[in-house]
Amino acid sequence: MIMTLKKYSLKRYRKYILPLILLLVVTEGAAIACGATFGKLETGLLNGLSFLGYMFPPDWSAFAEMVQPAFQSIVIAFLGTVFGTLLSVVFALLAAANISNPWVRNVTRFLIGLERSIPEIIILLLLIAAFGLGAMPGIIALALGCIGMLGKLLADTIEELDPVMMESMQSVGANKMQIIVFGVLPQIMPNLISYTLFRFEINIRLSVILGAVGAGGVGYELDYSFGMLQYHRAFTALLVIIIMIFGTERLSYMLRGRIKMEGALK
Amino acid sequence: MSTVEISLPSKKYKRKVTVFSAALIIVSIACVYMGFNPIGIFTEFHFVRDLLGEMFMPNYKVLWNNSSIGFSIVQTLSMAFLGTLYGGIIAIILAFLAALNTMPLKIVRVITRFTLSLVRVVPILVVILIFVIAVGPGTFAGLLTLVITTIGTFGKLFAEIIENTENPPAEAIFSVGASRLQVIRYSIIPQILPSFIANLLYAFDINMRAAIGLGIFGGGGIGFELYMATHVLHYKDVTALISLIIVLVILVEKLSDYLRRKILGEGNLK
Repeated sequence: MIMTLKKYSLKRYRKYILPLILLLVVTEGAAIACGATFGKLETGLLNGLSFLGYMFPPDWSAFAEMVQPAFQSIVIAFLGTVFGTLLSVVFALLAAANISNPWVRNVTRFLIGLERSIPEIIILLLLIAAFGLGAMPGIIALALGCIGMLGKLLADTIEELDPVMMESMQSVGANKMQIIVFGVLPQIMPNLISYTLFRFEINIRLSVILGAVGAGGVGYELDYSFGMLQYHRAFTALLVIIIMIFGTERLSYMLRGRIKMEGALK
Repeated sequence: MSTVEISLPSKKYKRKVTVFSAALIIVSIACVYMGFNPIGIFTEFHFVRDLLGEMFMPNYKVLWNNSSIGFSIVQTLSMAFLGTLYGGIIAIILAFLAALNTMPLKIVRVITRFTLSLVRVVPILVVILIFVIAVGPGTFAGLLTLVITTIGTFGKLFAEIIENTENPPAEAIFSVGASRLQVIRYSIIPQILPSFIANLLYAFDINMRAAIGLGIFGGGGIGFELYMATHVLHYKDVTALISLIIVLVILVEKLSDYLRRKILGEGNLK
């Protein structure tokens, strides 16, 4: 009995050998392409830790200067989310099979998929090339970035709606616009709000990154402090960013909880 | 009775109008504060038209002529792969240390959870800037950044997945004398493996996109080539690179979809 058990347990893992070898080969190749070695990792980690120690006491006097850029970042993320949500509702309506005709739907779905595969930062680089530096390309980049995610999620939500509702509205003489305003939008509202809040969290993080490329705000302050070798100031900016991200995360979590409760009550 | 029927819709309508106008006022104040004019997109559209005129037709020759681009694609893919692999491994280890049903010591759990949430809130920009200083600009800095962000994004999720596993199988084999490690191996791992693999494939997808963005801050790879091309105003090359990136991202997405279906669909992980 015991012998057969042993034989079995050896056989059992045999089929994992080939994938494991493949994984090791790919890992080794990738490590060579990246120039990643353990020696480099060791020196890098030591350097990083000593650098963190060097950054450590944050420059509290710069804290007041950071508040306004942080607020700007939040406003950029907010406006990007608002306009992005409006845009993605339009795209979602066009991309839903039960509202628009098949040709429009397929073209819109393709556009949404295309947008989703372009990172926001590339959109921002192009917009900066078009409009110059400033908050405007940042807001537009965030708004366009919403389409890929929110547009797809909302279009799927609309397609899952109960067709009976739309048919009954149609049968009493509602036109397409009335069906959308009184039938579709109220039903997707809870989903819309929770997706939008989730996207707002993502946009807050993105606005920090986009700020460093040239959209202004606290991301720019951070990048600038690093560039000017004012590491204590950079640490202050880091703290402000962490507070900002943590705060919006808690806020959106709370609001989403409340929305869910309201939806359940109805 | 009739007053109730009449007043209810109008009250609802009033509330709707109040919320809507308040939102409108807040948005317009924010617009004025940032100096952002939504209509300006249409009045200043000629800038976009000029840029598009510069960008088309894409100069695909650069993909063949510039030999560093082929290698930079490999670098970006390797960055995403290694970042996912090592980040995933560390995230799994930390998740086991942070989960209630695998780690009996409270102090270890609390410390791990605190570390995970700290890593989660540190923005990717700060991590890459620090690593660029620590190991120098290049793919290695981008790789380390991806490891950190993967831990931040997936560590807590993995811990929650481990805590949500079914307890009865673990209790059953524990009661017939299995050690704590045997409980993990024969009860918890079979339950969590499918969702871990699905999440790691998803992480590879995310890391691929992040790797492109990291190139701009000194992470190397295809993002760096793109940034350089925008800097020297070669917009026809930029278009070629962007179309290459789109194809790459879509291919990676399809590949991760295919692998997920192949590995999870057959159910041969048990």
